[in-house]
Amino acid sequence: MARTATRGKRRSPSASPPADWDIPRVVHLYADPSSGTLRVGEIADHFRDELGIPCDVREDFFSHHGGPDREALARAIAATRVRNIMRPFQPMEPLFGEVQFELRLLDEPAKRIPGILYDAYRYLRLMRELLPPRERTLRALHVAFEHRILGTFDEDGRYHARAVVCGYPSVVSTSGIVEGPAKPAAYYKVKAQLSIALGAIPFDAAKEPFKGQFIDYDDPRLTRVATGYALQAAMYHITKEPFCEDPDCRLFNAHWQAELIRAQVQSHRLCQRHREIARRVARAEPPAKGLSREPASGRRESHGRGR
Amino acid sequence: MPIFGESSEAEVTRAILAGFTKDLGEYASTEVIIVGGGPSGLVAARELALNGVKNVVIERNNYIGGGFWIGGYLMNTVTLRAPAQKYLDEIGCPYKKYSENLYVTPGPHACSKLIAAAMDAGAKIQNMTSFEDIVLREKNRVAGVVINWTPVQALPHEITCVDPIALECELVIDATGHDAYVIQALEKRGLAKRIGEGGMWIEKSEDAVVEHTGIAYPGVIVAGMAVCSTYGLPRMGPTFGAMLLSGKRAAETALKELGRKPKKK
Repeated sequence: MARTATRGKRRSPSASPPADWDIPRVVHLYADPSSGTLRVGEIADHFRDELGIPCDVREDFFSHHGGPDREALARAIAATRVRNIMRPFQPMEPLFGEVQFELRLLDEPAKRIPGILYDAYRYLRLMRELLPPRERTLRALHVAFEHRILGTFDEDGRYHARAVVCGYPSVVSTSGIVEGPAKPAAYYKVKAQLSIALGAIPFDAAKEPFKGQFIDYDDPRLTRVATGYALQAAMYHITKEPFCEDPDCRLFNAHWQAELIRAQVQSHRLCQRHREIARRVARAEPPAKGLSREPASGRRESHGRGR
Repeated sequence: MPIFGESSEAEVTRAILAGFTKDLGEYASTEVIIVGGGPSGLVAARELALNGVKNVVIERNNYIGGGFWIGGYLMNTVTLRAPAQKYLDEIGCPYKKYSENLYVTPGPHACSKLIAAAMDAGAKIQNMTSFEDIVLREKNRVAGVVINWTPVQALPHEITCVDPIALECELVIDATGHDAYVIQALEKRGLAKRIGEGGMWIEKSEDAVVEHTGIAYPGVIVAGMAVCSTYGLPRMGPTFGAMLLSGKRAAETALKELGRKPKKK
């Protein structure tokens, strides 16, 4: 079910990247059918243009790699759910209804139910175990676009929703992009005032004064933003450092939606240093067969305040 | 000339007794028992009755409707997010659009319409009756509920040493709100777990409630806010769309479990 999007750029033999870089020979992108505005084909084109790496677009990760035993898979996914965001992950046998819920989501990948938080570390481990051995190599970069929200438990004693979790594979959460970085502070005040006055949260009314100031569900800017996060995942894979300090670089680790929009929508470019890294990646010779290493299980995530 | 026709005190007593015992006799064994007469329980009862499923709602309070009478902070305007307003259309309850996708209606109007709609459809309601326990059958499948008068629970045990009675059914719907009493009863026996409500409060939480509505244990369907506390889902505040649609989903699940095809309305 793979759709090849690209061919690689011509590589110059003179450029040799640092020995500790892991430049993939191929990028596999996994679609998120729940998102109406995510165009993964465009992201694949961007990977070719920016990094010169061939890229294919696959169906959603679990449809592609999930295997025939859907109930076992649903159980494994449900086991990664965060039950209490104020405590570190506590393993628990999933409830019957949780497994049924995941089964329904697996059966209908276009369905998006973002009310649940999943432990990023365990979720990525589950995905990694599903990858076939021939693809579980640093010569292949896997980036899955997902509607589920992944979170990490941080030093401040609570879970935070993430837009991207860089690891092996990496996940860019289309819901996490909306819920992870904080919206304008005034939005939360308006939301609180309206909910006190009305006894409910009129999300659409609360959002109205801030239209355009944050990425919303099915936002037309989603593909641009997701491309930047996918690049962060790629840089993590290659250099082990996904983020950049420059707020105008697409690798900037935005904690606020305003920062996200500045880096991904307004600037929409890499900083000079990362452009040079991208050029070196694009010019590099592909690694010889047999030199590939197994991926490590570490991870980095972005970003900031979760709900 | 008197306004009212002649009767006697004894005849009034006989009429109450006859009506009550007839109903109790009928639902001592029924297809579905809905524990909790809030919005999700009432919608489930109505939908099941419309599909010819014999059901009874057990409600511990004298009043039916749970939290549907009032919105937040004791203010009696209730809110619903689209598409839940369509259910108000179905039961003939007026509402107004407050903003894009958000609708408001007076709680007393919506609640009384919903109660009437459930009863018009054929649902039975047993109020002032508290759920005490579950009835278990082979393989620990839930096959009924144990009930008692609510006042019995309110008085000291030495005064009200009243044994409960049991009602049998094929399915129980736990629509008891945040407490999830039916799931709690299973939890006490080590048969089920309840995670408690979660802390994340995001825009799409209501969807998660509806999507988690369903079988939680053999013989038990969980609906409404009981879904939140069973699965640790975020509380969504005083907005009722998810309650109505969760009740509808619970009825659909029950129909499937009973092997019935839903009738077209």
